[in-house]
Order: sequence, then structure tokens, then C-alpha cells
Amino acid sequence: MSMKRILTISLVLVVLVSFLFVMGCEPAEPTVKVGSKEFTEQLILAQVAILALEHHGIPTEDESGLGGTLVNREALEAGDLDLYWEYTGTALVEFMAHDVITDPEEAYATIAEWDQAENDLIWLDMTPFDNTYTIMMRREDAEEMNIETISDLAAAINADEPAPEPGDWNFAMSHEYEARDDGVDELQETYGFQFDYADPMDMGIVYEALREKEYSVSMGFATDARIAAYNLVNLVDDMGFHPVYNCAPVVRQEMLDEFPEIPEILNPISEALTADVMSDLNMRVDIDDMDADEVAEEWLIEEGFIEPEE
Amino acid sequence: MFRTLWVWIGIPLIMIGIVAAMIIYSVNNPTDSIVERMLTYERVFRVIRQHASLLLISMTGATIVGVLGGIMLSRPSLYRAGRVVETIVNIGQTVPSIAILALFYTILGMGFRVAVFALFLYSILPILRNTFAGIDGVDYSIIEAARGMGMHPLRILTKIELPIAFPIIVAGFRTAIVINVGAATLATFIGGGGLGDLIVTGLAVRREMIILNGAALAALSAILLDYLIGKAEERVVKWS
Repeated sequence: MSMKRILTISLVLVVLVSFLFVMGCEPAEPTVKVGSKEFTEQLILAQVAILALEHHGIPTEDESGLGGTLVNREALEAGDLDLYWEYTGTALVEFMAHDVITDPEEAYATIAEWDQAENDLIWLDMTPFDNTYTIMMRREDAEEMNIETISDLAAAINADEPAPEPGDWNFAMSHEYEARDDGVDELQETYGFQFDYADPMDMGIVYEALREKEYSVSMGFATDARIAAYNLVNLVDDMGFHPVYNCAPVVRQEMLDEFPEIPEILNPISEALTADVMSDLNMRVDIDDMDADEVAEEWLIEEGFIEPEE
Repeated sequence: MFRTLWVWIGIPLIMIGIVAAMIIYSVNNPTDSIVERMLTYERVFRVIRQHASLLLISMTGATIVGVLGGIMLSRPSLYRAGRVVETIVNIGQTVPSIAILALFYTILGMGFRVAVFALFLYSILPILRNTFAGIDGVDYSIIEAARGMGMHPLRILTKIELPIAFPIIVAGFRTAIVINVGAATLATFIGGGGLGDLIVTGLAVRREMIILNGAALAALSAILLDYLIGKAEERVVKWS
């Protein structure tokens, strides 16, 4: 090997090694990594948190739409995320393996206490809205058959009443609802009825599946804008089967030590997020086709949480 | 004799056995209530059945249309059109299967039938292209000679062109079926069922055992079908 060649190679190596060295040594500036699940409401909430924090000079990193519940949770526990909005009911059942709680305050207190003690995760104040799972029918069918509650639905199915279009008592649901402990199997057991069949599909299309009369009943989320827009109706969960799902930002304790002002920033925002507000925000994205960050910014400015940029 | 048995029954049985053992183990040793709910024999057989129907119906249609289409396009009068179609098909093949599914969801709606239709269209492509390319690749002097002997074009097709092109057509069929097994796992997003039910549900609730069972079954079907078609192809080629 010629001298020149050896020199070149060693030069390249020195450059590469020093590169690594420099990258490794650079002090990582603390940023709040904000995650979210993949559906509209979560994307909006993530943007709300990001915009509010950024407005108060806290650097953030947008990891919204990261994945399902457990993907976010594991990332949070591992420190790959610092904040995401979680629902009390989801956390109770999924993480704490606790029984269903149908009282919002009790659910919040239970999970917040446990998460702080066990995982160093802090639940900031929760929203007034309760985005619980809901069982839906098309409004005209529900009215025609006089079905207002899930018990009414169970009675109709058990009495062999003919199903509305498509002629079967079939059920559209997300993949998650099929598997969860507070999902379709337990629902049928609690209310004592049986759908003809239940199909899992992407969460994004269950509302269309019901509207397009491919299914006679479907599950959904109570604050989703499409329920009103598609003329669907939520059946009352008269036996209190679905746990409450108020939403709250969950933050790693370490980040709160770094930025102790986070609760002051986010708590008033949570308080303003009522069910009406949330479904309105959801509607701006789902029906009016706006982007989540636009909607979040617009709302934060409307409510005076942030000032418009010049 | 023993070798034949081994190739046709032994090896496939071993493959099926490994996956079957995994399913039996998972069904009997669920890690928690969610896995127990999702992994029952009833549910596993149901998704296998759905997957097989997706595959069978779409592949049957695709094979008929693909081979007939390829033959038609290779006729001299349509040859120019054939070239154009081949290019279109090649471009079509670059569209990801999930995009095809999403496209047909917006046009036709949801469910099993739409999934079958999308898979059918997607599977036509490799079969059509290979049939066309296989016949197109037949040495022209052979056809000249046959014509000189006074053979009817139909006989040239069945006695010369198709037998020579056969391995290439089968290769297209193999490609299509392997792609199809994988693409059919996406049917679950539009409510079409199949092995994707297990994979996507497993991902949604983060239970590796559910994902693994779905993925292993899909991989097994792809490997097994590819293997069996490959072996069948060898035999047919030997005979002819």
C-alpha cells in the first residue's frame, strides 16, 4: 500500500472519529418530546400542547401520531417521549389492570396516584370531556326501532327483531376494541346479547361503515365529529359498561423538574376542553379538512392561551 | 419413490408442523386475557379460512384474465398494444398494495369483496406481463418453421408458444401468489378479514404473541405455496 493511500485513509478515519466525538459531546438541550396516538383528537391535543409549550419558550419535538396506546406508553416509560395525552379509563384498564371505574374523579385520582408512585409519571389536570367508547346506530334506524340504550339494542337483538340495513345485526369495530378487556366480548356478555358477527377494521372507517349501511351497529368515540355529521346516534350505556375516558397530559417527572411551569401552562387548557369544544375541534379536522396544527393554533388564539404570530 | 414422498409430503408437513406447534402452544399458554381472547382455535381457523378465500378467488380470476390477456396481447395484430400494456403493467406494479387497497376503498367501499377485487387486479399484473414476455421470447425461427410446416396459428400457440413460455408464465404465477399472500394481510384495514386481523390487532394492543401467530401463518402460506408451485413446475417441465 502506498504511503499516500495510507495517509488518505488515516485522514478519513480521523475526520470520522472526530465527527462521532463531537456529536457525542454536544450537550443535549432538553426538549419535551410530545407523542400521541393516531386518531384526530389525539393529533389535535398533541398540537395544542406543543403550541402552548413553545409559546412559553419550552422547546418541543413533535412525535405526534406515533402509534397505538401501548406504543406511546412504552415510549413514555422508556423516556423516548416526555408527554402525551392519555385517557383515564384506558390507563386504568390497560396499564394498571384495575377494574372499570365509571366515576371520573375516582378514576383520575386512582390512576394519577398509582402512576406517580409506581412510574414517576405525573397526570396533569384532566379535561371535562369524556371520550368514552360508544355504541352507535344510524339515527333513523334507532328512532324507528325505539332504541335509545344499549339495553334496548340487546332486547331488540334477543327478540329477533329484523335488523336494519344490511339486514344482519353486525358490528363494525376497531382492531383494538376487538381485543380489549373492555371491548366487544365483554360488552356482549354484560348486556347479554350476541351480534350476528363483528368485524375489525381500521378505526378511521367505522363511521363510514355505519353510514354506508355496511353494518347496522358500530363502535366509535363519543367526541368524534362524524357522529353528528353523519347523523349517527350514541346509544346510552345504561349499565355503565364503558369506563370513563377523560383525557389528561401525562408527563415524566424528570421533565417537570426541568420545566416546572408545564402544569401552569397546560392545566387551564385542559379545563377549557369540554365535550362540545372537543367535538367541534374534531369536526374542523375531520369534516372541514383542516390540519390538526391549524385547528389547535386557531383555538388557542381564540381562547387567548397564545397570541397570534406577527 | 421415497424421495417423491419426501418432497411432496414430508417437507410441507414439517413446515406446517412447526407453525401448528406454535399455534397450539400459543392457544394453550396465553400470556393474558387479551391473548386468550384473540388466540382461540375458532378465531385462528376463521382468519385462515378468510385468507384462503381471499387468495383463491383473487388468484383464480387473475390467472384466467392474466394468461388470456397475455396471449391476446402477444398476437401479432395486437403486438404494439402489448408493448404499451406491458409498460403500463410495469408501472402499475410499482404502486404499493396498500395504496391499491386505499384507492378501491374510496371508489368501491369496504369489505371482503372489495379486498378480493383489489387483490385480483394487483395479481393480474405479474401473470399478464410474464405470459406476454414468455410468448414474446419464443425464438421466431421456430414459429417460422412451424408455419412453414403448415401449422394453424392456434396449434402454434398450444403446441409451441405456450409450452416454451410455460416456465416463465408459472414464474409470474408464483410471483403473483407470493405477493398476494402478503397483500391479503392488508384486507383487514377495510374489514376484509384474513390473517391481517391477527397482525393488526396484535400491533394495536402490542401483544407479540398475536402478531407472531398471524405473521407466521402468512409467511408459512407464502413459503409453502412458492415451494409447491416450484416443485410442480419442475415436474411439468420434465414431462414436456
